[in-house]
Amino acid sequence: MARTSDDLLIDRKLLEKLERLTVRWRKSFAGLVGGHNLSRFAGSGQEFLDHRHFHQGDDLRAVNWRAYMRLEKLFLKMFQIEPRVPVRLMLDVSGSMRTGEIDKFLYSRRMAAALCYIGLVRLDTICVQPFSDHLHDSFLCGGGRHRFVPALEYLSKLEASGPSNFLEVTRQFVANYPQRGLLIVISDFLDDGDSGKALQYLADFGHELMLVQVWADEDRTPPWDGELDLEDAETGAKLELTFDASAREDYARQFDEYCDLLERVALRSGGRYVGLSTAQSLEDAIFGPIIQTRVVQ
Amino acid sequence: MSFLNLTAGELIALFGTVSAVVFTLYLLDRSRRKQVVPTLRFWRHAETNTELRQRRKIQQPWSLVLQLISMALLLLAIAQLQWGDLMQTSRDHVVILDTSAWMGARTARGTLMDEARTSALAFVRALPASDRVLLLRADGLATPVTPLESNHAAVERAIRASEPSSSALNLDQAIDVAVRAQAGQGRKRGDIVYVGSARVAATEGVTSTLPGNLRVLPVTAPVENSGIRKIGLRRSRTETDQWDVFVSVRNFGLKERVAQLALQFGGAPIGSRTLTLKPNADQETTFAFRTKAGGLMEARLLDGDAFQEDNRAVLEVPAQRSLRVVVYTEEADPLRPVLGGNPRVTAQFRPPSAYEAAPDADAMILDRFIPTAPPKLPSIWIEPPAQRSPVRVKATVSKAKLSRWNSDHALGLGLRTKDLELETAQIFTPASGDIKVAETDAGPVIVGRPRTDTQPKLIVLGFHPVRSAMKYELATPLLFANALRWVQPELFLHWELNAGTVGTVEMAIDKRTNVEAVRVISDTGKAVPYTIDGDQLRFFAGTPGTVRVIAGDRESVYSLTLPEVGITAWAVPERVRRGIPSLGVQGSPVKDLWPWLAVLGGLGLLTEWLLFGRGRRAARLARVPARARQKVLQKRAS
Repeated sequence: MARTSDDLLIDRKLLEKLERLTVRWRKSFAGLVGGHNLSRFAGSGQEFLDHRHFHQGDDLRAVNWRAYMRLEKLFLKMFQIEPRVPVRLMLDVSGSMRTGEIDKFLYSRRMAAALCYIGLVRLDTICVQPFSDHLHDSFLCGGGRHRFVPALEYLSKLEASGPSNFLEVTRQFVANYPQRGLLIVISDFLDDGDSGKALQYLADFGHELMLVQVWADEDRTPPWDGELDLEDAETGAKLELTFDASAREDYARQFDEYCDLLERVALRSGGRYVGLSTAQSLEDAIFGPIIQTRVVQ
Repeated sequence: MSFLNLTAGELIALFGTVSAVVFTLYLLDRSRRKQVVPTLRFWRHAETNTELRQRRKIQQPWSLVLQLISMALLLLAIAQLQWGDLMQTSRDHVVILDTSAWMGARTARGTLMDEARTSALAFVRALPASDRVLLLRADGLATPVTPLESNHAAVERAIRASEPSSSALNLDQAIDVAVRAQAGQGRKRGDIVYVGSARVAATEGVTSTLPGNLRVLPVTAPVENSGIRKIGLRRSRTETDQWDVFVSVRNFGLKERVAQLALQFGGAPIGSRTLTLKPNADQETTFAFRTKAGGLMEARLLDGDAFQEDNRAVLEVPAQRSLRVVVYTEEADPLRPVLGGNPRVTAQFRPPSAYEAAPDADAMILDRFIPTAPPKLPSIWIEPPAQRSPVRVKATVSKAKLSRWNSDHALGLGLRTKDLELETAQIFTPASGDIKVAETDAGPVIVGRPRTDTQPKLIVLGFHPVRSAMKYELATPLLFANALRWVQPELFLHWELNAGTVGTVEMAIDKRTNVEAVRVISDTGKAVPYTIDGDQLRFFAGTPGTVRVIAGDRESVYSLTLPEVGITAWAVPERVRRGIPSLGVQGSPVKDLWPWLAVLGGLGLLTEWLLFGRGRRAARLARVPARARQKVLQKRAS
């Protein structure tokens, strides 16, 4: 059982199940050999792939000199290429993640921890990039499963506060990470700006998007009735209104339309979208909706 | 229509208060609530739709109305709403049931109490069902047993459970309580019914201003009875082993009686007298018997009469212990007559070589020697060697004239000598707190030291009383008697045992008694309140038991177990009604509505909770997210 001081708890049985999964992507990114698994093409790797005849101009360091001594022919050793597709995980740490009866922020960090563990088991490197209205300090999570505890500690120390600004964050992200790759965004996507446009920009830049929208049940269907004095968790803006069943239906419809918009943005650019309620357990979420998106298999 | 428990004004005031509280709570429950939400983007759209639709303060008026109606119904139930004119049909009666000690007297049909219970039950059964009855048990105190109760079965149960007590009847007080109980009830007054034999205590009369609604159900009582009124035991002033017994017997009847009074101690007869008792008069007689042992002394009137409870009294006589003194001396003979003259002292003489620090005794006397270990008992030191005397010796003088005795202290009480010259005497330097008992011009020669945390009481004599000129003085045995009484005062207390009746007890005390040191305690060890007026000490015992009075050197034990029999037979005036009235059993014209109101009120609150309760709202809303999520997931799957 992996655990940190902030109750970032992941059950051992769940960890054992996660070990069977792999982070996968679909796109071929420019400058890299595509696919997740080791490339079938030879290159400058560590793992031996095959021999071929030496041609002029080949690297003499790759000649199999033992074979030459025996056969008096020059053979060249070929190695597998280890692809370097960047997997980046953007984690929303804005103030809105702290609302709801079940903490969305804790749920999101547990989700991020689970994805990190999947990557670590497969010796992938995942860059965890927290954001709110700007990019926070990132954490490079790689090097095998024994590096999981530092990743957990990093996630447990994160604090959610401040407003979110997807456009500004997108601008900074594109500037900081020019290399395209798989981009997993875990957020409630609940800001007052146009987050759809920002996500579209990321997709157009060439990233493969995996949008994980986390919401509390109260976010989708507010349970309150009557006179409400509402305060925006991020901006502090206030709104007074009377709320009833009819208004609740209007609200839910608006929320669903927004979710559809996010899904359309993801699917249109070859990405994927999954919406998760915090009422759903982490295990159900991973082995249900997330596996169905085939980001992990 | 009437209310049993509340007046209309009280009901309206209560309902107004409850309504205000409910309304306030309702508004608070439905007041604007603050919520923090992740974004306002979806709310703004909802606001435009709902703001025009709802701007009401009271959003669920039916909830409020239902709550108020339910509260009103419950309050009406608490007020015990009844349908019908209760004032005109129902009355309040008070039954005074005599439970004085005399009601235990036997007749041919049983006890007087049995007859009284039968009469009281007959009266209650004769009443209409709507009439309320209060049962008052009357003896020395008037005690209401039931409230004004319309449940006649409960009153009948209380009547059946009534038993005679030990005190005499105080009818005035009982009638006063009954009148007060009927007043202020806002109902028609019924009867105040006295059921009993009407024998009141000697000190109590019956007021001449009797209430007009008084009714008497007389119980035929036997008139011939004699009983023990008081027993007193005290140790004889002259004979230490002898107890003087004083017995007072009274003939309550109208004829002269001859009764045999017998005394037993420990089951053995110790005396008997044949007494000729004059009608309605007391007679006293005395007995004397010798014993040092403790045991039960029983006085019995061998006379068959109607009331047996006052024919026998038992007192517990304590054992008479003597003071055991061990005398360590080489010369026992001079001291034998001094100690042997006191019948309460048992002296044992031992040589100093047999000294023990804690022998099986109450005190010890050390004659001219210093023990190896300090004594653990109170001790009297006679001429101890000067070097190791427990009180420092200042000097040894010759031809010292004993000039003064400390008569103010118990050690020197009653001691006098004239021109007594001591051949030799040790002059002591007393410490702080020491008592100078006897002094010469050079200083004290007898010193007492009170008990401290580490040392028992001790008295040091700087001369030998029986080897000096003092041996011919009366002061010598008195000095030893005072010394032994001072070291163990509890063994020399004057005992007095009394058997009497419960109630107020008076006893005479010595005027010189230190009032601060008087203690009156019950057999459970609790202090009993008392007053001292001059030389009279008074206390009151309401229940049978033993009370101990310790005043100075005297201890009196009161065994207050004899029943107090009423001496005066109350002559019921002619104008007072008698017998059971012929009211007839009526069907109840008044209908109790409160059970139905309580049920309706409860149902109303339950309905309100089911329809509008917070739990209901939460449950209804909790289902919405689940439906929405299922819808979304189905949509994704498709």
